[in-house]
Amino acid sequence: MTTAKDLLLGADPLTYEPPLPAARRERMRQTIVAAATDRSAITRGASFRMRAIALAAAVIVAATIVGSQIWSRSSAIVEAAVRFEIRLAEDQPAAGLQMAKISSTRVVYLHPDAIVTNADIASSRVVPGRTPGHFSIDVQLTPSGGQKMHDATAMHVGKPVAILLDGDVVMAPTVRSAIGGSAMITGDYTRAQAERIVNGMSLNR
Amino acid sequence: MNGLPLASVLPAALHTTAAERLAALFDAHHERLYRLARRLVPTADDALDLVQDTFLKAARAAGSIPHGASNEEAWLVRVLVNIRRDQWRRAEVRKRYSDTERFDLAATGTEDAIVARADIWSALEALPPRRRAVIVMHELEELSVTGIATLLGISAITVRWHLSRGRRELARILNPQSGERR
Repeated sequence: MTTAKDLLLGADPLTYEPPLPAARRERMRQTIVAAATDRSAITRGASFRMRAIALAAAVIVAATIVGSQIWSRSSAIVEAAVRFEIRLAEDQPAAGLQMAKISSTRVVYLHPDAIVTNADIASSRVVPGRTPGHFSIDVQLTPSGGQKMHDATAMHVGKPVAILLDGDVVMAPTVRSAIGGSAMITGDYTRAQAERIVNGMSLNR
Repeated sequence: MNGLPLASVLPAALHTTAAERLAALFDAHHERLYRLARRLVPTADDALDLVQDTFLKAARAAGSIPHGASNEEAWLVRVLVNIRRDQWRRAEVRKRYSDTERFDLAATGTEDAIVARADIWSALEALPPRRRAVIVMHELEELSVTGIATLLGISAITVRWHLSRGRRELARILNPQSGERR
């Protein structure tokens, strides 16, 4: 007897239709990006206010966390400062670049100078990650830090930037357009690990 | 810092504006969404419209989309399936008329095989979109029950229920003789 699966496989249009035409895809992309641009222009006024409130809240939360860590008797682990840097990177080696391994299959080549460091962080906070029980770190840069990122990445579209924690590259996303004032470090951190990094960043500021 | 599993950190993106976020979301997920959409609707044009509507909804809600590739994917898939449910409910009202129209279009193919394929695909319209999505994800994308549950934000029990009902309905629609046999 023919199963439902056999019938579905036989009739599946993806097996016999041509793939999505590139021109159609590009048109759709432009429509969507334009819609998002219009939207952010409308809400910009509100979002600045929200950011200011969020920044104030983040500082209070960070202060509370650091305070509770300092005063907590049960905390046997001494908080270590975490060195945060973002550097331009290349996919190909060249003189003056330093090789850094990201995974077993990917390396990038780092520019010698950091674009931003801990001193450029306005705030950092732990946010929910990809899956329940995992956490990421949201880093907001100061206006001057954001400007430095923007200037450096505007000329670096299509190439990677590397985010380093204590000298280790933790991620190297590709620049799609000039980057401004915020960075999201996504990873499968536990809440404790993410908080240790966030706290470490503020200690080194 | 020593001992932290920093090597396990996944590639991710830096985002500032809603437009950059949407561009990155589109680049990362449009192919996956098109593949799903194409299997939920009668024609390729319907699938393109469904994908575009999904991203336009994302553009209006860029701030509330969770970060991380699998969270983004789940958010977009749920939006896509929900849009399709709304469309399907509206289409139910004019079902009889549109079914006739669709079969006429299918019959314009010259090859019998093409007609048969299109007929089967049109017949799938009888399935409610969420059930159809569960069937497509399980039978064609070969996702596990728990994987589908996570993606659609429903329980594994509900996924199994949709699977068993969907298979029965499919058998009845696509293979009447075996579907009627108990």
